[in-house]
Amino acid sequence: MEIEERTLKLISDSKDGVYQNELWKMLEIDSRKCSRVITKLMNSDLIIRESAVNNGARTYLIKVVAPEEESYDLLLAGEMFSPCAGCRLACQPEICELLSTWINQLTLEDEIKKDEE
Amino acid sequence: MTDLNDPVVRGYLIQLMGEEGLEMIEKMPAEGEVTDEQIAEATGVMLNIVRRTLFIMNENKLAICRRERDSSSGWLTYLWQLDLSDIESHLAKEKKKLFKNLQLRLESEEDNVFYTCPEGCVRFQFNDASECEFLCPACGEDLMFEDNSPMVEKLTKRLDELKTNNS
Repeated sequence: MEIEERTLKLISDSKDGVYQNELWKMLEIDSRKCSRVITKLMNSDLIIRESAVNNGARTYLIKVVAPEEESYDLLLAGEMFSPCAGCRLACQPEICELLSTWINQLTLEDEIKKDEE
Repeated sequence: MTDLNDPVVRGYLIQLMGEEGLEMIEKMPAEGEVTDEQIAEATGVMLNIVRRTLFIMNENKLAICRRERDSSSGWLTYLWQLDLSDIESHLAKEKKKLFKNLQLRLESEEDNVFYTCPEGCVRFQFNDASECEFLCPACGEDLMFEDNSPMVEKLTKRLDELKTNNS
């Protein structure tokens, strides 16, 4: 396992993050190398770090960037789910009436959103 | 653990199996194997609906089925188990399918001119409308030109959202 991979795994395994002044000891590398690895991971947007104090020493608290969860809300138009799911009809999206109904529901969805605002 | 209260998950399951199918899933044991008759008895859902729902679930890989042969009678028993663990990948596939179909629809809406019956009976492309002499074949009303720009706008917006969400 490469050092970047090991570092990321170590940080991911800790829910509250890892202090940089402890990280290099855990990885059994020197602090300069650790700093370079951290910079690399930060540039790849895999981790974030914030200033912190640990055992009276100024350091950084490093946390992993949580991967953005994919949202499936766009399958809904209002309360109607995509009519293409489980559809057994001959697929002709150009003239499909069920799809037309779903598209029309998008207007209702917009109106509800406007009312809520 | 799949949240059956999630509106998207509910919508998907209702679309596949109907309200009664969802009702059955909600009342089904989350773990352990059961027969169709046991499900019908425990959930109060009719046996034919239970079987239909299980068939659709198995087809969509939302339930696991195992066959067991009784050594003395030789009868086969089908044992079922809910498996909603992979539902997210199903939703991802549905999103791709919807995206593709909306794209085709958008192209058709942008490339054609539409005529509709004011009574809501039919919606024709120009060629079909002209073949009917711009009269509704169902009620005889004059077909009217439809400004489909609101539909194009809605489609474009949702396609953009889907594209951003997928990237």
